[in-house]
Amino acid sequence: MAPSRSDKQELLKGTLDMLILQTLTVQPMHGYAIAQHIERLSGELLSVEQGSLYPALERLLDRGWATAKWGASPTGRRARYYTITASGRRQLGVEITSFERVLLAINRVMKKV
Amino acid sequence: MSFLDALGHRLGVLLRPRAFDDEMEEEMRFHLALEAMQRESASRGTLSTSDARLAARRRFGNTTYIKEERRRMTGLGFFDLARQDLRFALRTFRRTPGFTVGAVLTLAIGIGANTAIFSAVNAMLFRPLPFREPERLMEVGLVTPGRDGEPGSSDMVWSYLKAATFRRAQTIFDDIALYSSDGMTVRVTEAQRETGEVVDTDYLPTLGIQPVLGRNFLEEENRPPKPRAVVLISNELWTRSFNADPAVLGRTIDLDNAPFTIIGVLPPGFHGLSGRANVWATIAARRPYMFDPQEAWDHEFSMIARLKPGISAEQAAAAVVVLGARVDAAHPPPVPGRKWGASARLLDRTRVDPIIRRSLLVLLGAVGFVLLIACANLANLFLVRASSRQREIAVRLAIGAGRGRLVRQLLTESLVLSALGGLASIAVAWWGIHVLSSLNPASTFSVQRLGGIGAVNFTTVRLDLSTFAFAAAAALATGVLFGLVPALQATRPSLAAALKEGSSEERRPRALRRLSTRNVLVVTEIALALVLLAGSGLMLRSLSKLLGIDPGFVPEKVLTLRLNSTPGVRGRDSLPGFYQELLARLRALPGVTDAALGDCPPLSGGCNATLISFRDRAPVASGTEPVVGVHWVTPAWLSTLHVPLKTGRPFTDADRLGGRKVVLVSEAAARRFWPNESPIGKPVAVGQGGFGDTAWVVGMVGDVRFKTIDSLPDPDVYISYYQSPRPGALVHLRTSADPASLAAAARRVIQHFASDIPVYDVRTLSARVADATAQTRFSAFLHALFAGAALVLAAVGVYGLVSFSVAQRTREIGIRVALGAARSDVLRLVVGQGAALAMVGAIVGLVAALAATRVLRTLLFDVVPSDPTTPIVVVALLAGATIVASWIPARRAARVHPADALR
Repeated sequence: MAPSRSDKQELLKGTLDMLILQTLTVQPMHGYAIAQHIERLSGELLSVEQGSLYPALERLLDRGWATAKWGASPTGRRARYYTITASGRRQLGVEITSFERVLLAINRVMKKV
Repeated sequence: MSFLDALGHRLGVLLRPRAFDDEMEEEMRFHLALEAMQRESASRGTLSTSDARLAARRRFGNTTYIKEERRRMTGLGFFDLARQDLRFALRTFRRTPGFTVGAVLTLAIGIGANTAIFSAVNAMLFRPLPFREPERLMEVGLVTPGRDGEPGSSDMVWSYLKAATFRRAQTIFDDIALYSSDGMTVRVTEAQRETGEVVDTDYLPTLGIQPVLGRNFLEEENRPPKPRAVVLISNELWTRSFNADPAVLGRTIDLDNAPFTIIGVLPPGFHGLSGRANVWATIAARRPYMFDPQEAWDHEFSMIARLKPGISAEQAAAAVVVLGARVDAAHPPPVPGRKWGASARLLDRTRVDPIIRRSLLVLLGAVGFVLLIACANLANLFLVRASSRQREIAVRLAIGAGRGRLVRQLLTESLVLSALGGLASIAVAWWGIHVLSSLNPASTFSVQRLGGIGAVNFTTVRLDLSTFAFAAAAALATGVLFGLVPALQATRPSLAAALKEGSSEERRPRALRRLSTRNVLVVTEIALALVLLAGSGLMLRSLSKLLGIDPGFVPEKVLTLRLNSTPGVRGRDSLPGFYQELLARLRALPGVTDAALGDCPPLSGGCNATLISFRDRAPVASGTEPVVGVHWVTPAWLSTLHVPLKTGRPFTDADRLGGRKVVLVSEAAARRFWPNESPIGKPVAVGQGGFGDTAWVVGMVGDVRFKTIDSLPDPDVYISYYQSPRPGALVHLRTSADPASLAAAARRVIQHFASDIPVYDVRTLSARVADATAQTRFSAFLHALFAGAALVLAAVGVYGLVSFSVAQRTREIGIRVALGAARSDVLRLVVGQGAALAMVGAIVGLVAALAATRVLRTLLFDVVPSDPTTPIVVVALLAGATIVASWIPARRAARVHPADALR
């Protein structure tokens, strides 16, 4: 049984870019697949709002961290596939490091309680 | 390459915005289709296809919002907003055409006038000189010892020999050029008068100028005694006289009746350092005597030098002082103990006369003030408009528009206006530049105390890239200046008050209302206008004093023509008879009442001068004798120019070559040399014209201003052409009709009588007098124009403010009238508001004017900036204008019917 919508967690601010980039390291994907991938891997706990997904993808394109190309999807329809670039991989490293630092800090605080 | 990826993406979006939208659309449709499919299959038949689609759509959210977000991400959003604001602004302007046209016109005139003055300032003061690496060029001058307690000059010209000594000794300059401006009679097919330059072979290389056709002078062409006579010509002369024929090289033209072979044509626009030259010849060809060891004291040539790489201007200036002492030692002065030297400065520093520099900068300041006043006016207009849109703005704020967004929209409106104004200003600037560049410096400014190299003048003023850049910058700056304050003020969040009926203005305390932005702006306008009025008042008073000066002769109805006769063409002894016959023929022309010759026109900036000594007094040390101006005239000169004879007798035709030598002296000379006795009958020796032995003073005449209109007459001595014949003369004709109408006839008479003599420089004496005040008239006219514009703008500002406040206070006025206030009370109330503004503005303005007009001091003649008459007149003028400006709305207020106002 999948958790109902209300059980899903809102994404932590600023982590969406990181999640998308991480997803794209697997293989080039279209927007829907990216969202599905994140939800599935998080055990349906994280939900990706389309309202943030597409602007986030636009941002990645704008920074040069990803490129987009139209290609055929398994259903035969045209889909836009996003591919991570070398600088996107570098950026992913940066974001993971800083995210881990934040996580560590939060953990420290919470243990003190 | 992330940078390239990003750039490629962004360009793709910007270049194909339509495709970007379509792709976004397709991508979302794809997403929705997959989502719907997935939901349908997950529900195992409980969901219909259409329900699944609806659910997917619900889950997806607001597609429009997502699209907008994406557009914003790419930078397209910026253009979206800008386009929106632009369309809105244009719609608003179309609804208020009067406001729009008025604002654009104000801006066009304000920015256009600024651009025109700026382009003049740029051309005259800032644009690099049109030579190669002009910042490495220096002017080197001789330093004279000074006389009679006056300091010497530091930019005295050189003799060829001194320059040669300098050149041999120096190690700091790569090239040294000598040049001297020289009037010549040039004959291609017919004789014409041209300005030329006598130069050495290094002249063109030093400036970095190369002939576009032919070659520069060769060394042997500047080697005395008999070099090949060759000449370079300007592109203009080439086009004018040879139809730009490339076969011009090798052809011969006559310079002062001697044949010269054309060896080259110089680039277009190049007229030498004098700014006027059309022909160039070598020193050896035109001045062979300059190489004579006797001629070390024949000073004629300006020296321009190019610094060696690695040597700074300061180092060079210091070295030149040392070199000056060596030149002095090599050529000892005739009067021992009076040291000569040399000094150098960057050529760029000598480009224009300091007076012109200052008056241009002052004009730039004045016209900048006009633009500031225009800005203040527009800011006020925008404030008024914003307050009538207060509710619209409040509603927008209330339903969630960001303040930044609204400020941006209002700023777009002001920037659109200023951009339109900026575009229109190009036309105004073009016209202004046209007027400025039609000022011919040769005739207009040559009679002023002009320094400067002449290569820079008003004819070089033009519309160029820097002009456009200036206009664009001015438009942008004014748009922000008059848009930002109203935009910030209008969007000040005081929602509740603004949403209520009626204006928030009325509810504010009186003291605050008085300090409102609008009042401050109008007071500033009045103060600025007063500064401009005070400045232009001083300029006008200065001009009227100049025009009121008696130059010592009556210029009206006198025509002048210059005759040039080359030395040696006619024998010296035959000249008196020749002149007498010529004058007799001219006098016989109908309309001519009197005819005479003089050697130098009055107000020409300076004539011949020499030393005078007194035969009946003990001789003084050689070289320390007093200096007098010396002028050649024919006997009728006094009656032709209406110069009064004070005592003694005038010259007669009987004062001839070989007779008893006689001179006339001016009153100033008599006062100076014979303070308590009559000069008549005194024996003098004059250093020119063969009068070095003894000549007798036979008459004293009134003072004539030969130099400039505002310099006191010097002591002058007159010699008769008939007693000391010399070639070259200025014919003066007194006429009974318009003198200009006789020009052609007079020219014909002269040419018929002596066809080998070129006649040129034909002008009325009135025109020459007008030239003498041209620079002051030019400045005074522009200042008056700017001050008038400022006054009108300030009055419009007062009018706008007072009418706006009348409109706002209609209800209050209605109550006052209902409670028994008379119409006169209302009038007084409203006009009082305008008067109060004017008073505060005048006080601020007077203080500012006192400080600001000090910069005019060196530009004024016989008027001091602290002169009290000007401010009084100016304040009265301004007060009158404000009262008229507030009277109009006041009458409207007085007609307010209480019933209408209170309903």
